[in-house]
Amino acid sequence: MISTLGFGTIAVALALSVYGAVAAVVGVRTRRPELVQSASVAAYVNFALLAIANLAMVYALVVHDFSVSYVAQVGSRATPLFITIISLWSALEGSILFWGLVLAAYTASAVYLHRNHPGPLVPYATATMLVVGAFFYMLLIGPANPFEPVWPVPADGPGPNPLLQNHILMAVHPPLLYLGYVGMTVPFAFAIGALLSGELDATWIRMTRRWTVTAWIFLSLAIVAGMWWSYEVLGWAGYWAWDPVENASFMPWLTATAFLHSVMVQERREMLRVWNLSLIVSTFLLTILGTFLTRSGIVQSVHAFTQGTIGYYFIGFIAVGLVFSLILLTGRGTELRSAGNLDSPLSRETVFLFNNLILTAFTFTVLLGTLYPILAEALRGVKVSVGAPFYNKMTLPLCMALLFLLGVGPALPWRRAEPDVLRRKFVIPGIALLVVAGASLALGLRQPYGILAFGFAAFTLCATLGEFAEGARARMRAHGESPLVALGRLIGANRRRYGGYIAHLGVISMAVGIAASSTFQKVRDVTLKPGESVRAGAYDVRFDQLWAQNEPHRFVVGADLTVLAEGKEIGRLAPRLNFYGDRDEPITTPAVRTRPHADLYINLMAFERDGSSATFQVIIEPMVVWIWIGGGIIGLGGFIAVLPGRRRRREAAVVTDPVAAGKGGDV
Amino acid sequence: MNLRSVLIAVLVTLPLVAVFLRGMRSDPRFVPPAIPGQPAPDFALVRMPMAADEEPSDTIRLADYRGKVVVLNFWASWCVPCRVEHPELVAVAREYRDRDVVFLGILYKDQPGNARAWLNEMGGEVYPTLLDPGSRTAIDYGLTGVPETVIVDPSGTVAFKRIGIVNREMLVREIEPLLAEVVRP
Amino acid sequence: MSTVSSGGRRIGLVVGLVVVLCGFAYLLYGGIGENLVYFVTPTELLDKGEAAYDAPVRLGGQVAPGTVRWDAEALDLRFAITDGENTIQVHSTGAPPQMFRDGIGVIVEGRYTRDGVFESTNLMVKHSNEYRPPAEGHPPSEMYRSLIREGES
Repeated sequence: MISTLGFGTIAVALALSVYGAVAAVVGVRTRRPELVQSASVAAYVNFALLAIANLAMVYALVVHDFSVSYVAQVGSRATPLFITIISLWSALEGSILFWGLVLAAYTASAVYLHRNHPGPLVPYATATMLVVGAFFYMLLIGPANPFEPVWPVPADGPGPNPLLQNHILMAVHPPLLYLGYVGMTVPFAFAIGALLSGELDATWIRMTRRWTVTAWIFLSLAIVAGMWWSYEVLGWAGYWAWDPVENASFMPWLTATAFLHSVMVQERREMLRVWNLSLIVSTFLLTILGTFLTRSGIVQSVHAFTQGTIGYYFIGFIAVGLVFSLILLTGRGTELRSAGNLDSPLSRETVFLFNNLILTAFTFTVLLGTLYPILAEALRGVKVSVGAPFYNKMTLPLCMALLFLLGVGPALPWRRAEPDVLRRKFVIPGIALLVVAGASLALGLRQPYGILAFGFAAFTLCATLGEFAEGARARMRAHGESPLVALGRLIGANRRRYGGYIAHLGVISMAVGIAASSTFQKVRDVTLKPGESVRAGAYDVRFDQLWAQNEPHRFVVGADLTVLAEGKEIGRLAPRLNFYGDRDEPITTPAVRTRPHADLYINLMAFERDGSSATFQVIIEPMVVWIWIGGGIIGLGGFIAVLPGRRRRREAAVVTDPVAAGKGGDV
Repeated sequence: MNLRSVLIAVLVTLPLVAVFLRGMRSDPRFVPPAIPGQPAPDFALVRMPMAADEEPSDTIRLADYRGKVVVLNFWASWCVPCRVEHPELVAVAREYRDRDVVFLGILYKDQPGNARAWLNEMGGEVYPTLLDPGSRTAIDYGLTGVPETVIVDPSGTVAFKRIGIVNREMLVREIEPLLAEVVRP
Repeated sequence: MSTVSSGGRRIGLVVGLVVVLCGFAYLLYGGIGENLVYFVTPTELLDKGEAAYDAPVRLGGQVAPGTVRWDAEALDLRFAITDGENTIQVHSTGAPPQMFRDGIGVIVEGRYTRDGVFESTNLMVKHSNEYRPPAEGHPPSEMYRSLIREGES
């Protein structure tokens, strides 16, 4: 019953997508607005259909309808309700179904919000989004059909992957990731629309700015949530392992970040047209590539889903997308020549160029490292993996340069910087750099990258705060406002700019967290008997007892630990091993005591059956919490940047594009 | 659209696609099993009775089938993919009934009661299923999960091992050449 | 700005870019070559002869039954990895995962030393996520029953 309903709605959505894409293109070519209109309707109806299909699946999961293949695969009567619901995205088929919903939602809202924009740009973009949608619906009725009827109906299922059941962040990470990944489809579709329609000025960029930033926020948050999950669940006290799945979400983030910066150059100076189009096309293709890498089983990864024929569909889609985009990008030739030119090497646009160069190099490095095992196996027949040292060696210099530019860019004006401006803006940050770097050296830090990271973070922090201070001071003088009011109004009046700077502050916070936790991490393995304790940094950790407990969907073995500072009890920790579905392989759940200056992170590694001793891994991880806080700040900054502001609307009314401004299409 | 850009596009895309297609053919998570080309680890396992009250009686040894092709299928009633491949195995077992091919199921981490019910639902027992307490045999065969299928040639050597679902075509392709090795008395 | 000088600058820019790109590609190539970790089985590792020693590799196979020696006090773990044909002794410091046992598939990362022992820096148990057995003879809840606290189910 649900199988039929689910499969039926997806099949109709597929048919509608194909129809809509054709109708939009034919409608534009033959100037028949009613055809274009019908394509928009197809996009709206698709959203409703995908919503129904997803609800049907959630319903099937909740009522344990094991006649639906996906439920038989990930459902289990013992699993708590909440986990049952989120197991919608815990395995391949369900995640593609959810993906389809997100894509349909983006498509419908983009089509709706830009419906009044005249010209062929929007219809072409609509067609592009519908084609992308058609691909995913095709997966859903073909190789990744979650609604396959199962006969005979099993009495119970195995339950979702224990790794995913083990932490609340798994409820958060995948939806964020899909919202980020799929959101990149919108600017991509408008870029393709711009190429097809010949509207190659900055119109498409202005129209999609909010979409891009929104997707970028989700992608940033998803990456940070993924790091956090990895830290809290996997038990190795790390958050980034250059795992192919991590890389898959990181690469589009890098190109999207480059895009967010370089579009400003095009808006201001009419430069970098081809570059911007290429960046957003790359971003989109990298999201598809990332999905391919993680869903096809082509690379080895802790998170990889099962393999099947689905990989071939993705290869086909990537090939078509790449060929099509390259033909459009190279075929336009002279039309895409930049109108503007660089005036001075000391200007904000130069910094943006460097930022883009570095981010591109970064992307290439990660791409090469990720694909190299596949290349090596295809060309030389050997199984290799690319070690983390490769990534660290290659990307750390790039990270340092980016951190430095983060401070330089906002302080430089467009076109040309005068020497006295430079002096005024960089004296304090320069001093901060020297002081912090010197202090790190004096405190015994000897890793060059550690010293550089702290120094540059100080430099950039001062430079960025200086921008806020300068703007606020100007307002205080001009309007006689109090400092806080001036700061608030300053941000409110120019949300895009200061939202960006706030995101920069988040990046600095992350950089400091990463630098501190990776340079000063201390790990120690120890076997303790009940009553014994071990020294960990400023604390003593005492092992009290080992216990076990039956929970509905799992069996837990845990250890009670007491944390003491100078002999006084200051907290308790209970690292656990969770056994799901009576598998004899447990999932580690570390116990973490988070404090601003350092985390105390303890794993229960092994234990004696009678509780007479247990082995722990005790880790001191300095300042790691600033990574998560930084992620939050980045999201906040992005959020401020997409908020519509009074100032922006007025600006839009005066600026350049009469069409976008007049129709209010610049959403 | 002009020829030059089409050419560029195709030249960039083709190698990438070729590498990916090649990559799809190998399993990156493959840990070499202790198997192909090796003597198949022997076992002596009791046959799962098809009635609940029946005592397990016959012990089946792999060595008993020297001179025949043996298809070992590791399965469990809780395993969804096993449902998919079971009809194929049954079909091939019926097809080769009168030739020197022996099909044996080996139950993996499952209750005989559930397994019996499952077999009955799937159309009844066509070839015997063996019980593997403690999964000793599964470990000997380097099992990573179910379903997995191993084909042992007439000399007692592992000729084929498949992690995941098998289908009729695959089985016939492996069995046929091995049958040629069978020396008829 | 005349077209000539703009063209000259463009060429300069392109040449500069190409040089930077080539330099970067060279760095990448060198970097990746030094940091590759090969994945081998015991047989493949022994076949390498001299080249087997001291190179970082990932060694995959099964824990040979009956070879596990774990000293909890000294945090010292020794076992052998086999692919059925050849066996290699492995030494590792640090606690093994609780699920570590005979016959399980493992991947160890480290170097093969001239003492004929593989010094492992990282031990990963290969578990297959696709297929999950719900019950067996001795589920953990039974094995570790004595640890269940008083007054709880």
